[in-house]
Amino acid sequence: MRVFFRTALLWLTSLLMLGLAGCATPPPANDPDALAYYNETNDPLEPFNRKMYAVNNALDAAILKPVAQGYVAVVPEALRTGIHNMLGNLHTPVQLSNDMLEGKPRRAGDTYMRFLINTTVGCLGFFDVASKWGYPDHDADFGMTLANWGVGSGPYLYLPVLGPNDPRDFAGFGVDIAADPFTWVGQGAAVTALGYSRWAVTAVDARSRLLGSIDNIKKTALDPYATFRSLYRQHRQSQIEEMENDNRATVPVWFPQPASAH
Amino acid sequence: MPSRRFLLTVSAAWVALGARGNAQSGDAAAVAFVQSTGGRLVGVVNGPGSAQQKRQALTQIIDQVVDVDGVAKFCLGRFWRQASAQQQQRYMDLFHQVLVTNITSKLGEYQGVRFTMGRTTPSGDDVAVDTTVLRPNNPPTDVKWIISNSAGTPKIVDVVAEGTSLRLTQRSDYASYLNHNNDNIDALLSAMHNQVQQDLASG
Repeated sequence: MRVFFRTALLWLTSLLMLGLAGCATPPPANDPDALAYYNETNDPLEPFNRKMYAVNNALDAAILKPVAQGYVAVVPEALRTGIHNMLGNLHTPVQLSNDMLEGKPRRAGDTYMRFLINTTVGCLGFFDVASKWGYPDHDADFGMTLANWGVGSGPYLYLPVLGPNDPRDFAGFGVDIAADPFTWVGQGAAVTALGYSRWAVTAVDARSRLLGSIDNIKKTALDPYATFRSLYRQHRQSQIEEMENDNRATVPVWFPQPASAH
Repeated sequence: MPSRRFLLTVSAAWVALGARGNAQSGDAAAVAFVQSTGGRLVGVVNGPGSAQQKRQALTQIIDQVVDVDGVAKFCLGRFWRQASAQQQQRYMDLFHQVLVTNITSKLGEYQGVRFTMGRTTPSGDDVAVDTTVLRPNNPPTDVKWIISNSAGTPKIVDVVAEGTSLRLTQRSDYASYLNHNNDNIDALLSAMHNQVQQDLASG
């Protein structure tokens, strides 16, 4: 996994350098409408990003989408849900550390209880018992943590394989891989193979859950690239807002509650 | 002058109370509206009838409950002002058809749909009503309905699914299309026309 991590980083930085060569020129200042649009979309790398979007679409059509379709056709719904739950359970260390870095003790508590309950009662994470017991899942990653610390998203970025992104989330992605104990634990061919399989299954699982939506967007949007850009940003924004607004009190129920916490 | 101050305080309190009362009854009306509208939509989707009949029934409901003109204007953004009266008229017609085809093209996916009501929050001048949409073989989806009361009767002005607003997304789609077609509104209109024709041919 370490070698994979290093090569991936090298590869992506060189791609980014390439991207800088493909900058769009901002419209002149005497065209305020066009300038406002340029600033609003915040996509100075659009020419490069669109090329990467085309590359990703080709990769998707050739590999990921057919594999995801096959996965849905062959594997029954209940098994797919179980696999999805197990992948989420394996992600606990990263989620928990980000909950804590975001200063959200109740979210960290939820994540911790989810891990305890689902790993035991939920058969190594296959069944999401914790959600039914009052510990619902939530999103936490280092991109969100950076947003919580006041770091801006930066311009839009479309990366090969990874898809819609921005510098903040891309940095967060790297930190999350580095923070994942499974990146560093163990040695030997078997462990490496397991690590790769986990990423492959994660990709297929994520793609299979979006089969209908992505087809629909491509069918109904006049400019799917711009639509995905807008959807990505809105979705990230809503995840961040939900995290920031989650200010549940940490006072135990048998203590007098502070006025704000009802 | 204490009496004047007293009067001011009392009237301020009355205004505040009145506003609160209004907001609360507005919330209740919005919840009832979303519940009944959702029920009607689910009834058509899961009910009997051919695709054509369902399309007709949905068009009728959409006309009644969605502020189509308001949403259409919002989605065109600054280009609405730049469009000629004729272009505006054509755009309105096409937008209406696109909205209906976009919704009816998903009919199959929504077979067996149910929904549960959630909490209500203010959203600017409007009211946001949360629902959870449950479809067989799909994870539950959080859908927020933005209800405006500015026309006197409640109307849907936006649908926010998992944090993504339908009208904002549509607006950025049109803006980008226009940006890549020299801001030519006729190009957008013909693209919308093609879209409707394709949908009608395939569906």
